[in-house]
Amino acid sequence: MHKIWLISKREYLTRVKKKSFIIMTILSPVLIALFYGIIIYLSFNKEIADDSKHIIVSDQSGLFTNQLKSNKSISFSYRNIREDEAKSILKSGQVFGVIMVSDSLFDKSFKIKLLVNEQPSLSTLTNIENQFEVLIKNKKLSENGIDQKILSEINSTGVEIETRKLTDSGLESGNSGVTTFVGIIGAILIYFFIFLYGVQVMKGVIEEKTNRIVEVLISSVKPFELMMGKIIGIALVGLTQFVLWVIMVLTLTIPVSMVVANLMNISPETIAAGSDATRQSSGDIAGILSGFGQFNYTLIIGMFIFYFIGGYLFYGALFAAVGSAVDSETDTQQFMMPMTLPLIFSFALAQSIVVNAPNGQLAIWLSIIPLSSPVVMMVRLPFGVPTWQIITSMVCMALGFMFTVWLAGRIYRIGILTFGKKPTYKEIWVWLFRKN
Amino acid sequence: MIEERVFNCSMMMIEAKSITKTYQHHIALNQINISIKKGSIFGLLGPNGAGKTSLIRILTQITEPDSGEVLFNGEKLQPRHIYEMGYLPEERGLYKKMLVGEQLLYFAELKGLKNKEAKQRLKYWIDRFELKEWVGKKVEELSKGMQQKVQFIATLLHNPKLIILDEPFSGFDPINAQILVDEILLLKEQGATIIFSTHRMDSVELLCDHITLINKSEKILDGEVNQIKQTFKTNQFEISYSGIPIVSDDIIKVDSTERENLQFKTIVSLNYAMTGNQLIRHLLTREIELLGFKEKLPTMEEIFIQAVQQKNKYTHA
Repeated sequence: MHKIWLISKREYLTRVKKKSFIIMTILSPVLIALFYGIIIYLSFNKEIADDSKHIIVSDQSGLFTNQLKSNKSISFSYRNIREDEAKSILKSGQVFGVIMVSDSLFDKSFKIKLLVNEQPSLSTLTNIENQFEVLIKNKKLSENGIDQKILSEINSTGVEIETRKLTDSGLESGNSGVTTFVGIIGAILIYFFIFLYGVQVMKGVIEEKTNRIVEVLISSVKPFELMMGKIIGIALVGLTQFVLWVIMVLTLTIPVSMVVANLMNISPETIAAGSDATRQSSGDIAGILSGFGQFNYTLIIGMFIFYFIGGYLFYGALFAAVGSAVDSETDTQQFMMPMTLPLIFSFALAQSIVVNAPNGQLAIWLSIIPLSSPVVMMVRLPFGVPTWQIITSMVCMALGFMFTVWLAGRIYRIGILTFGKKPTYKEIWVWLFRKN
Repeated sequence: MIEERVFNCSMMMIEAKSITKTYQHHIALNQINISIKKGSIFGLLGPNGAGKTSLIRILTQITEPDSGEVLFNGEKLQPRHIYEMGYLPEERGLYKKMLVGEQLLYFAELKGLKNKEAKQRLKYWIDRFELKEWVGKKVEELSKGMQQKVQFIATLLHNPKLIILDEPFSGFDPINAQILVDEILLLKEQGATIIFSTHRMDSVELLCDHITLINKSEKILDGEVNQIKQTFKTNQFEISYSGIPIVSDDIIKVDSTERENLQFKTIVSLNYAMTGNQLIRHLLTREIELLGFKEKLPTMEEIFIQAVQQKNKYTHA
């Protein structure tokens, strides 16, 4: 045990003292925030991605003239022209398209045609279709004697369902969007941590092999001690990084939430005087904020640490075995595939199936099998998971990593002293059962 | 208790009995027996692939033999014995990004030294090898020769009773090789036992008290260096002189003659058994000015080749 401690101490200190560790620990959250910030900004500003398109509307029916709303990406002008005129205008390249609306709305022959030079984007088409749909619907309703005032009242109806989850401490409010968000974030973190630090274990082992330090070491310590020391040391690096991130997020969130709280204090007056839109949006923020408050963070962080350690040991040991079997990183591909596939697979499933049915059969099983449980369980946790499932999953995780550590230890002890030739799967199978 | 005291009084540092080790498709060691006296320098000689490293890995407990047993200082080999061994493997290296001092301390602690003690010992070696200004530097900043010194210190820092050096001179420049030899001789004086393993047999024959030759996983020869040389000597003498070149007669046969300026160096073998004095008397009857005279003993490499041939003849017969 003493030697495992010595080895993990070295692994830990040499990594934590590196400049790259310090820089990445500080920069990563900033970069991730920036990355998501840019995505959110772009998705709210779709228009900037597209040039403005001008469309001429030739409305024979007269029903839509000056009714279509222009925005940053599409503008409309109205002029009654014939189709052949439209074609020549299009050919001249002055406009993006011409909409031809036929004579009567209630005729069977009623048609709206869009003439274009190039295929319009889906969002442009949807925009135009939606506008026509609303206008036509309104026209038809008022033709049938429904008052304009009633119509706008009907149109402004909005429904918001407030979820209350029954827990031991009574009814708790919940927010599905936020729950999914927290789950996915947990899964992403686990997925990246296992990969990032698992690969570090592998690289470390390869480094010792190619530098030929391994034979010097192996006369002082047992291969298993060397392997475990490395795995544990790197796990501690991962945990340090995680704890630093939690501290950073907390220190950053407190000022941010204070600013938000300030805004919320002003909001009652604004709401009293303000429009529907402000009321709705401030309601959303309140919902999201209260949504974040609904979780048992001790459980989620505790479980995160357990599944990080468990999943990392499970995969890290296998990464160590791969590192020991090869002479250089380029040879690892063949052995990495079968190891990383389950992890990638569970991550893909977590984002789709598990989020939609967090308590379905598939989700339950995936969160118990140790190959996928670290990622899948993190998604399920915020939705609430029965205690027996958590315990079963944890026990399976523990058994799973004990098995892979044993397996890796068998491969490692032979692999680190085998140089020159990349082993085949068959040879590795033989190593498993070979006497020391 | 009594038994233990008897064991610790053993004359032998290592006794390996009938060691056999097989890998998947070949035999690495076949019924090898060796005994290494305390305080001696032992040469484990043989060509590449003979089984030297396999044997060393068994002594250092990196692997276990399929059969046979090893006694260390009279006791059955146990994990704690590795603290009393210093091993410089043929394939060796250091952590390039680690500081020299930190790295040496790390290796010493892995060998069971307490941090404080390790620091004291380190100071001694740093002074000895004049490495003071390099302690705080990364290994990758050191020259190759410096790195070799560091590697050597790492092997000896914990003051091992048994020092195992596998191809110690490979990669060492002549100056560092000499430093290494001087240190080895000093350590021997201080009571350490040393195993040299090499395929360059001539490089260590002057240093070794005792050698074992192995070839194709079998021991082919074993004994005191002087004794072996006597056994394999061919009754040849090397004579340096000036004057008229010596020619064969009924007493001596000239094997070769080399001319260097006005001097000759002739190797003769005897047709009859006679002492050196008798040969000198016989030579002085010629018209020569005798400048040098010595018995020609075979080199270790020549002995090895002869031993292998004899062994083959014996096996075929």
